[in-house]
Amino acid sequence: MSDIENKPFCACSTPGGVSGIAVIRMSGNGSFQVCDKIFSILRTCGEAKKISDMDGYTAAYAKAVDPNTNEKIDDCIVTVFRSPNSYTGEDMVEISCHGGVVVKQEILRVLTEHGGRAALPGEFTKTAFLNGKLDLTEAEAVMNVIAADSERALKASNAQLGGALKRELKEAEDKLYEALSLIEMMVEFPEHDDTPENTTKVRSLCVEVKSVFDRLKDSYEKGRVLSERMRIALCGLPNSGKSSLLNSLTGYDRAIVTEVAGTTRDTLEVEVNVNGIPVTLIDTAGIRETDDKIEAMGVERAKTASFESDLTLYLAAPDVEPDEILTQINELLDEGVSKSSLAVVFSKSDLGRNSSSGVIENKCREIGIENFISVSSVDRIYLEELKSFITDRYENLGGTTSGETILLNKRHAMILNESIGYLNMGIDAIDNDMGLDAASSVLRLALDKTGEITGKSVSSELVDNIFSRFCIGK
Amino acid sequence: MITIEEALKKDNTYIAGTFDVAVVGAGHAGCEAAHACAKLGLNTILFTLQLDSLANLPCNPSIGGTSKGQLVREVDALGGIIGKMADKCAIQTRMLNSSKGPAVHSPRAQMDRSKYSVMMKHELENLDNLTIKQAHIVKLLTEGDDAHVSGVMSGTGAIYECRACVICSGTYMEAKTFLGEVINESGPDGLPRSVGLSESLKDLGIPILRFKTGTPVRVNKKSIDFSVMQRQDGETDIPPFSFENEMNGITVPTEQIPCWSVWTTEETRKVISDNMHRSPLYSGVIEGVGPRYCPSIEDKFMRFKDKERHQIFVEPMGLNTNEMYLQGFSTSLPEEIQEKMVKSLPGLSEAVIQRNAYAIEYDLVDPLSLKATLESKIVPGLFTAGQINGSSGYEEAAAQGIIAGINAAMKLLDKEPLTVDRSQGYVGVLIDDLVTKGTSEPYRMMTSRAEYRLFLRQDNADQRLTPEGRRVGLISDERYAKFEEKMRRIEEETARLRKTYIAPSEELKEVLESVGSVCPVSGISLAELLKRPNVTYDLLAPVDKDREPLPRDVVFACETDLKYEGYLKLEKEKIEKFKELENKRLPKEIDYSSISGLRIEARQKLDKIRPENVGQASRISGVSPADIAVLMVYLEAFRKRRPQEGIEE
Repeated sequence: MSDIENKPFCACSTPGGVSGIAVIRMSGNGSFQVCDKIFSILRTCGEAKKISDMDGYTAAYAKAVDPNTNEKIDDCIVTVFRSPNSYTGEDMVEISCHGGVVVKQEILRVLTEHGGRAALPGEFTKTAFLNGKLDLTEAEAVMNVIAADSERALKASNAQLGGALKRELKEAEDKLYEALSLIEMMVEFPEHDDTPENTTKVRSLCVEVKSVFDRLKDSYEKGRVLSERMRIALCGLPNSGKSSLLNSLTGYDRAIVTEVAGTTRDTLEVEVNVNGIPVTLIDTAGIRETDDKIEAMGVERAKTASFESDLTLYLAAPDVEPDEILTQINELLDEGVSKSSLAVVFSKSDLGRNSSSGVIENKCREIGIENFISVSSVDRIYLEELKSFITDRYENLGGTTSGETILLNKRHAMILNESIGYLNMGIDAIDNDMGLDAASSVLRLALDKTGEITGKSVSSELVDNIFSRFCIGK
Repeated sequence: MITIEEALKKDNTYIAGTFDVAVVGAGHAGCEAAHACAKLGLNTILFTLQLDSLANLPCNPSIGGTSKGQLVREVDALGGIIGKMADKCAIQTRMLNSSKGPAVHSPRAQMDRSKYSVMMKHELENLDNLTIKQAHIVKLLTEGDDAHVSGVMSGTGAIYECRACVICSGTYMEAKTFLGEVINESGPDGLPRSVGLSESLKDLGIPILRFKTGTPVRVNKKSIDFSVMQRQDGETDIPPFSFENEMNGITVPTEQIPCWSVWTTEETRKVISDNMHRSPLYSGVIEGVGPRYCPSIEDKFMRFKDKERHQIFVEPMGLNTNEMYLQGFSTSLPEEIQEKMVKSLPGLSEAVIQRNAYAIEYDLVDPLSLKATLESKIVPGLFTAGQINGSSGYEEAAAQGIIAGINAAMKLLDKEPLTVDRSQGYVGVLIDDLVTKGTSEPYRMMTSRAEYRLFLRQDNADQRLTPEGRRVGLISDERYAKFEEKMRRIEEETARLRKTYIAPSEELKEVLESVGSVCPVSGISLAELLKRPNVTYDLLAPVDKDREPLPRDVVFACETDLKYEGYLKLEKEKIEKFKELENKRLPKEIDYSSISGLRIEARQKLDKIRPENVGQASRISGVSPADIAVLMVYLEAFRKRRPQEGIEE
């Protein structure tokens, strides 16, 4: 039951997968305060300087920033609803962000790391009902939604918990039980000389578990792309070869590629398989090479596509001034595209090695960009090089080839993150000689949390564990 | 089911008296229940099968221990009697776990067994409103469609009218003892057993279970060679069990008797394994389920084959007896084998056994049929407490006894009942576990069963429960005034420690460095200093010049609450969440089978246990968090619908 917390809860309300925009909702007391930590308002209709100052039914154009790193995540539209005038009847925030996998996950991550929590199945609807927002006759339907959602979540979770991950989590959990049981035996049967006094063992078990949790949590970062398609944005000046590259990768002439419905920003999205990897290519077409507004719009589009993407390919043609290219690359970086997900592609290599490519490469390396590829849509050899580069990237994002366990579920990652916090407190308590009671109190919290993934209840397990390990009594 | 009128038609029956409350059984549960009822002004009668064995300690001659010590402190905080009796009869006292953090400090004391029984009997005899009677109660009498309690009948045909009844039958109902192949229809210590009462409860529809437990041998002290044993002395600088004694400056005895310990030998193991076939446990003669925490010695060797030896404690049974109790050596092997087993122990080769070990099997009530008040869900006015509810231990019994007694009284006085929840005390954990989860073996209290153990400490039991005891009427004005004074001092001292800042100085540096702590560069509050590892209240004395002398209990409370503040805060958050669900009451008339969305298993479990609130429902095994979410939605719908349909709470 420890999931029922007083924290505001959040979830992505638009369907999974990739879309132009996505809507993340947060509901409950403190929603505004959580958002204050993450969003800085760039423009809004009133005087509000932060989300919690905004009136109900108003929206703000705001920048989402990870408070821990000060790195920008996305530009969003944040709409504020004040209790009781919201879907759930509580204070609510709706965040419209770009629809890329990474952006959604990152925003949910920062929300849950700074005072929010992941919503339970059917929780928005349930809360709406409890607050009298839904008709009485809908009660039964709501209950069935919760039941069905829980069932689905359980199935999904079980499927994800299959195999190696399940084994690894169970081993970690067992170790945590062992640590707690050791403490409990010392505490429960102190008069017995054969009760092992083994605080060192408890500590090392905690450290072992923590390292497993750390690794599993990190694997989530890698694993997230697996559940959805890898998105690759093609950027660059007009005539830099984006469209040709797109056509080469699809194997079709782009004239017969269907445009994705609902994209109003004049980009073209194409779903392809690259060496068997599901990829969505985004061509930022339609840029004019002039000084007017339209060019500026083109750059904006390129940036937008990059935010939504797991990989940005910046195409540099041999006939363009290196300075111009570097300016554009810097602009992309300024807007928050990460260096590791940006690759500079020297296009039209069939026309001979780009004479300025050396200059560009050196300058780029100075600012931390490390991915450079040459392509030619005419010469297939260059294309294979690009494909294997994409494959490598995919595997770095959580590829299937390695034997390492991957944690897929966002909820799982968040739970493990909390567990890690409690484990740290437990290790501190032992190191500072705070008493076994304090250590066990936080280790129980860690185990409680982990139990939310594995579904075990601590108390009964613990008592069984003590009895099975230790023989004691009158 | 039988009424008073029907009972009177039988031969040789008569009305022997009229009381408010009848308490059946005068062990640790019965004594607390009778004491509470009489103190609350109800005309009470307490029945025992054998007056000389009132408040008997038939097993271990000690009270307290891990989590059990906390229970004794809690019963005392509520206004119970066990703590004061234990203080009077202690012959050795210790604070277990004193090095492992304040939450697990547990007081434990060896008792003078016969003195305990005599003192308790005399205390109760002198109590107003209480009649004590040696009688064998065989039937519970009921009236009306709801079969509520109206009286009890003894084996001699005496009918005692009462409006509420508390049954604390211990291990006596239909008891059988096992000493190897020898089976006796007897209660513990060769006392008479209770016959018929269990059948009478079964007739009323109460589910009956059967458990077993056991006790070790007693050996004459003069036949023991203590020189080969390890000596264990008591501690005299610890508080007594009773808060009232503590506040009145009454201390634990200064002269104390030692305990001893030895290890089993290879010979012990051989004797046992050679004779396993003669154990009624392993030959299947005993049907009752035994406890895992208190296994017989043969159980220990069987279950933990890799363990070559087990520790045995040798404890005195009193000042005026030579009997020594062999803790850890309970067995149901035959007398002849017991002789060999005991003689295989170091220092006991010449041992003279005065009483043999035996196993005992008894009837009990399935605690799932009880409310959190310990009243039966089936027979209104019937309360049960102690081993009849599936628990084990004197302290567990006393804790249930006082709650059952108070609630019998509250019911008759038409007052709000007393339930202690899991965040308020071990008493609450114990009762909630029993009535929500049931038990498949004799239930022993353990600190690991408590979720909020940093709060449930032996030192703050009064803070947690004395206001409750005051509300029901068990705490005198004088005691309450002292309690309030103590609370005031704790509050003032805590505030002083928070706001008193100490400037860095050579003196402070020296004090802090003596425990490996760094001297701060600017002023720091005493409270912050106390949070540092190894920094204690006493240590800070040289730098805390304005300090006034305070009682030990006040200092301990301030120090602990400040030192563990961070951890306590986390636990407090957990408690708040817990309370939220605990405060959502489930109406009696809910038809779980009709709630769509609940899984079948959840519907069945909820219907069987009929929890009192959502929190309790969430602890039932087989009820998932999703079921609880569904239940909360249903509750809301129910609340909205009720005014329309005219359903009353």
